[in-house]
Amino acid sequence: MVYRTNAMICTCTNCISNGALQVKDALEKEIKKQHLENDVRVVPTGASGLCVKGPILVVQPEGIFYQLLTVEAVPHLVEEHFLKGRPVKSLMYVPPGEEAPIPNIRDIPFFKNQRLIALRNRGLIDPDEIEEYIARDGYRALAKALTSMTPEKVIAEIKASGLRGRGGAGFPTGQKWEFCRASPETPKYIICNADEGDPGAFMDRSVLEADPHSVLEGMTIGAYAMGGTQGYMYVRAEYPLAIKRMKRAVEQARDYGLLGKDIFGTGFDFDLDVFQGAGAFVCGEETSLIASIEGQPPEPRMRPPFPAQSGLWGKPTNINNVETWANVPVIINWGAEWFSQIGTDTSKGTKVFSLAGNINNAGLVEVPMGITLRQIVYDIGGGIPNRKSFKAVQTGGPSGGFIPSDLLDLSVDYDRLQEAGAIMGSGGMIVVDEETCMVDMAKYFLEFTTSESCGRCNACREGLQAMYQILTNICAGQGKDDDIELLEELAPAVKDGSLCALGRTAPNPVLTTLRYFRDEYEAHIKEQRCPAGVCKALIAYSIDPEKCKGCMLCVKNCPQGAISGEKGQPQTIDQEKCIKCGACHEVCKFEAVTVR
Amino acid sequence: MVEEQATNSKIGAVLVVGGGIGGMQASLDLANAGFKVYLVEKSPAIGGVMSQLDKTFPTNDCAMCTLAPRMVECGNHINVEKLTYSEVESIDGTPGAFKVRVRKKARSVDPDKCTGCGECMESCLVRNYAYLKPLTPELLELAPDETAEIDRILSEHEGEKGALLPVLQGINAHYNWLPPAAVSKVSEALDVPLARVLRIATFYNMFSFEPRGELMVRVCLGTACYVKGGRRILEAVKRQLNIEVGGTTEDLRFSLETVSCLGCCGQSPVMTVNDDIYGYLAQDKIPDILASYT
Repeated sequence: MVYRTNAMICTCTNCISNGALQVKDALEKEIKKQHLENDVRVVPTGASGLCVKGPILVVQPEGIFYQLLTVEAVPHLVEEHFLKGRPVKSLMYVPPGEEAPIPNIRDIPFFKNQRLIALRNRGLIDPDEIEEYIARDGYRALAKALTSMTPEKVIAEIKASGLRGRGGAGFPTGQKWEFCRASPETPKYIICNADEGDPGAFMDRSVLEADPHSVLEGMTIGAYAMGGTQGYMYVRAEYPLAIKRMKRAVEQARDYGLLGKDIFGTGFDFDLDVFQGAGAFVCGEETSLIASIEGQPPEPRMRPPFPAQSGLWGKPTNINNVETWANVPVIINWGAEWFSQIGTDTSKGTKVFSLAGNINNAGLVEVPMGITLRQIVYDIGGGIPNRKSFKAVQTGGPSGGFIPSDLLDLSVDYDRLQEAGAIMGSGGMIVVDEETCMVDMAKYFLEFTTSESCGRCNACREGLQAMYQILTNICAGQGKDDDIELLEELAPAVKDGSLCALGRTAPNPVLTTLRYFRDEYEAHIKEQRCPAGVCKALIAYSIDPEKCKGCMLCVKNCPQGAISGEKGQPQTIDQEKCIKCGACHEVCKFEAVTVR
Repeated sequence: MVEEQATNSKIGAVLVVGGGIGGMQASLDLANAGFKVYLVEKSPAIGGVMSQLDKTFPTNDCAMCTLAPRMVECGNHINVEKLTYSEVESIDGTPGAFKVRVRKKARSVDPDKCTGCGECMESCLVRNYAYLKPLTPELLELAPDETAEIDRILSEHEGEKGALLPVLQGINAHYNWLPPAAVSKVSEALDVPLARVLRIATFYNMFSFEPRGELMVRVCLGTACYVKGGRRILEAVKRQLNIEVGGTTEDLRFSLETVSCLGCCGQSPVMTVNDDIYGYLAQDKIPDILASYT
C-alpha cells in the first residue's frame, strides 16, 4: 500500500506524557472521517528531539513540523492540511523572540545545525516495525560484516574510525574489542550498558525508544568481531517504554533470523536477552553491572582483571554504551575514513546530548565533535528563557562539572572538556541561569552521590558524606572560614581512595564550582548571602509595592496564609509565617515578588 | 627491653582495651614479642563486629578467614590473659607503671567447666530480642493463591543463572513491596541465604520492605528538574499529602518517593503518579493533580 503522505507522530515518553497517544487516536479518527485513510498514514515514531514542544507531528515527505498538538486542534489540522493542502501556521514552530513561523523541519535551527549518526532514524521510522528499519539500510552493515569481512577486519575498521566509548570515559572502542577478542576463554559475552543513571540525561532512552534495531545490529556486529555468543541489554527500570520496545525488537530480529542460530546462513550464532535494572546508580559502572546480572551485590570490584579477560560469570565480556553500539553499523556501512572526517583530531564522529534545564529548546541533539558550547546553547538551544542570563552549563552529570560563561567558546570534545574540569560524560547537558545557586548545585550532586555510593570504599562513603555536610552548613549560613580549604583537601582524598569512577569523579562538581564560582561560596560564608536567591536560610521574599497590582493570586497560593492585604492594593508578606516555599514568586505575573 | 626494665624498674606487661580484630592482633604481636598481655573486652566474648561482615576491603577476603585464626590464637596464647565481660574503671600511674582497675561483671557461668555448647541459650525462656527477633507467624504465612503466584514467578526463572534479581522484581511488581514471607520463600527456593537476599534487595532503590500505597507518587529530582524547582514541587507534594519521602498515607492510598531522573528532562519539573507522567509542574498545580485521584 502506498500512501500520499505520512504523518509521523512522536510517541516517546516525553510526548506521551503530553498526550501524544490521545492526539494519535484523534488523528486516526479524523483522517478516517475525512475518508483519507488510503492517502494519509499515521506513523508512531520515537524521540523526534525537540521534547519541550511535544506532542510533535512531522508531515512527510514535505517535512512540515507541527508542535504542541492537542486533541482539540486535530480536526482543524486534518481538514486544512490533509484535505485542503493548506499547512496550519498557528501550530508551527516560532523561534524565541520572533513572529514568523518556520514551516519546514529542515529550516528550524534546532534541527538544521545537528548532524545525525546515532540518531539517523529518529522520527523517520516506526520503532516497532523491523521492516522500516531495514528499509533505511538496516542490517545491511551486519550482512556486509558477516559475508565480506573477517572479524579482524571489522575490528580494524572500528579502530581506524577513531570511535571512542560514548558512555563517558571515552576509551577507544576498537582497542576494547581487540582485548576481548584476544582472550582465549569462551564463551564470550557482549553487553549493552543502558543503565543511564546520570540525572538529567536521556540520550540512551531516546535511542532505545526511537531506533532499537540500530543498537541490536551494532551489538551483533560486535559479537561477530569478538567471537561473542550471548548478549545482554541492561536497561534501567525507570524506562518501561524503552524496555518494551527493545523486547519487541529482539523478538522481531529473532523471527527474521537476524538473531539466533546461523545468522545469514554464515554459521554465526548470537542471541540476546533484555535485563532490567532495579534502581542503583552504581550499576552503570561496568564491574558493578556485571555483578548485578550475576545476582551478586552490585558493588564494583578492582580492575585488573578487566572484563575483557574476566567479566560476566568469569568469562571475557565486552561492555559498550547504547550510543557506541548505535554508531557501529554506520561505520561498517560508510567506512572508517568517512566517519573519521567528522569531529576533531582526538574525538571522532558525533555526540548526542540531552539539552535541558533553563533553555528554550530543551531536547535531544546530536552534534559533530568540536562544535562550541555557544553553538549548542544559542544556535540549537535557542538561548535562555524568560529574559534571564546564562550562567553555566553542566556536563557529565554527577561526575562532571560546571563550565562558566567565559568558556562558552570551548570546543566540545573529550580532551577540552577534561581540561576545563568537566567531562564529556554520557551526554547530559544542563543549562543553568542566574537564578541557580552554584553552592546549592554542588550540594545537590553530592547528595546524589552520597546516597548512591555503594559504601564499599571508605574514602567515597565517608569522604563524600563529610563534604556534603560542609556544603549543607554553608547553605544553611553556618559556613566557616576554612571550609573552602577543607573541601579542597577532601576532594583529592576521595578521588584517590575510591575504586570506581563514582568516587573518583564525585568531587568534580564541587571542584569546578570552586574553580569558577568561588565568589559565591565566599558570599555564603563571609556575607551570609545567597547571590542567586536559592538557599532558604539566607533569603527572604518580599513584595514590591510599586509592581504589585493586588491581584491576590499569591494570597490564594500561599500555603501558610502569610500574605495579606486588600484587593487592588499592594500585598505584604509576614516573615514570621513565611516558609520560603517560593509559591508566590512562581505565580506572580508582574514580577512583584522579589528574593533577596 | 629486659635490660631497660632492670634499670628503671618498669613492668613489661600491656593492657589492650577491646577484643575486636585490632585488639586481638595487637595482643598477639605484643605477646609474641614476649610481653604479658591483658586483653579487656566489654562483651562476653572476644571477636568484635568483624564476624558480621561478609567481605573485607579491598581484597574481598572473607571476614571470618581473617578473624578465626586470631581468635583461636588469642584463646590459646599463654601470654594473653583475657578479661571478657569486663570494663576498665580507672587508670592511674605513669607510662611503664600503670595501675588499672577492671570491673569483671558477674557471668554466672563457671568458665573452667563451660564448653561453649550453647545449650543454656537455647533453653532459656527469656530471649535476647536484639539478636534473635523472630518473625511473627502471620507475617511468614502466605495465602495459597499468593504461594501459587510466587511459585509462578519462580518457575519463570527456573534454572537461570542470576535469577535472584528478576524474581525479586517480579514479586515487587505483584505486591508493590517485598513481604517478608515472600522473601524467605525466595531464599529457600533459590538456595540463597536470607541475609544475602536482603543484602541485595536493600541495595536497590526499587524495593520496599513496607507496604506501599496503591498510587506511587514519584517526584523527579534529576538535574534538569532540580534546576527548574523540583525541590519546591516535592515540598508542595509533601505538604499536600502530609507525608515524608518514603512515607505512605494512612489510608494506604498514596506513597511518596523521589526519583533521580525519569528521562523526561524536556518537560521539567516532572512527577509521576503510577504510570501517568505530569510535566511543566508548578506548585499551584499539585493540589488539583492529587485531587484527581481521590
